Amino acid sequence: MEKLNDEAQWIVLMGFMVAAAFFFLALVINQSTLVGQTTAESVLEFPKEDIRDVKSEVAAVVATASISDAEKEKLWKDIEALYIARKNAVVDIEKTGGSATHTEVKIHFNNGVTTYDETAYY
Amino acid sequence: MVDDSAQLYTIEGFAAAFIILATAYLISGTMSIYTPGDSHITDMQLEQIGNDVLAVMDTPTTQGGESELVGYLKDWNTDGFNERFSNLLNNRTSGKDTLKYDASVSYRSDTDTVQNAPFFSSQTRTNYEQAVRVTRLVTIPESTDLSSHLPEFEKRDQVVLLEVLIWRS
Repeated sequence: MEKLNDEAQWIVLMGFMVAAAFFFLALVINQSTLVGQTTAESVLEFPKEDIRDVKSEVAAVVATASISDAEKEKLWKDIEALYIARKNAVVDIEKTGGSATHTEVKIHFNNGVTTYDETAYY
Repeated sequence: MVDDSAQLYTIEGFAAAFIILATAYLISGTMSIYTPGDSHITDMQLEQIGNDVLAVMDTPTTQGGESELVGYLKDWNTDGFNERFSNLLNNRTSGKDTLKYDASVSYRSDTDTVQNAPFFSSQTRTNYEQAVRVTRLVTIPESTDLSSHLPEFEKRDQVVLLEVLIWRS
């Protein structure tokens, strides 16, 4: 190495290190599209609004005193029929008990991907 | 003494090659091509805003009261529904959005079959739209008679399903 001037080699090596740092930053940016995509797919697949809608409708019907118990059974049948026909989801709503102060309702939801079961007290 | 100057040149060559490769990867990697599969991101936003609009319209303003959505459905008030729904759907911080929709009503008829009837459409569909569907269950009271709009309609307290297709035009 006596006569070799190796100054430039160090500059190149430093350049390589900077490039490597940029390389990893680029990897992170690269993943962001993929992450957004898969997150959006998961959100679309999960029937959050469907379950909430069924729950809120059941709650509203249970709270309506003017509808008799026999009529309420018909309304549960409506919801079940509509969900299996229009949204390909099995919904089962059943009054399982209650007293003067509350009503116990079992709600079952299954759209083939997500299953949800709840015993609700309204 | 062995002259090892060539080794340094070799290392330099490797380093330079890596830099070129890394740069090429960086440039090709940061380019993203928007394919139809990526439309899930915009679909999610459409579905969210649609569900939000329906939730706002189906929330009664008084305890035990009737939501405006129930009002529009039981009176078959398509104009009132259109005005309110379009407004909420296309609301932006500045200006107006260009979302279009097609609403229909599904119900369990007196023959125990689920039927679907159109409610209101803000634009005629070509069936090529990238539409998303949002739904909302609505309880309509017994006094409602929609038999002129919904065939085989059974007059009773019942739950109907309001379905809305939303797309950007």
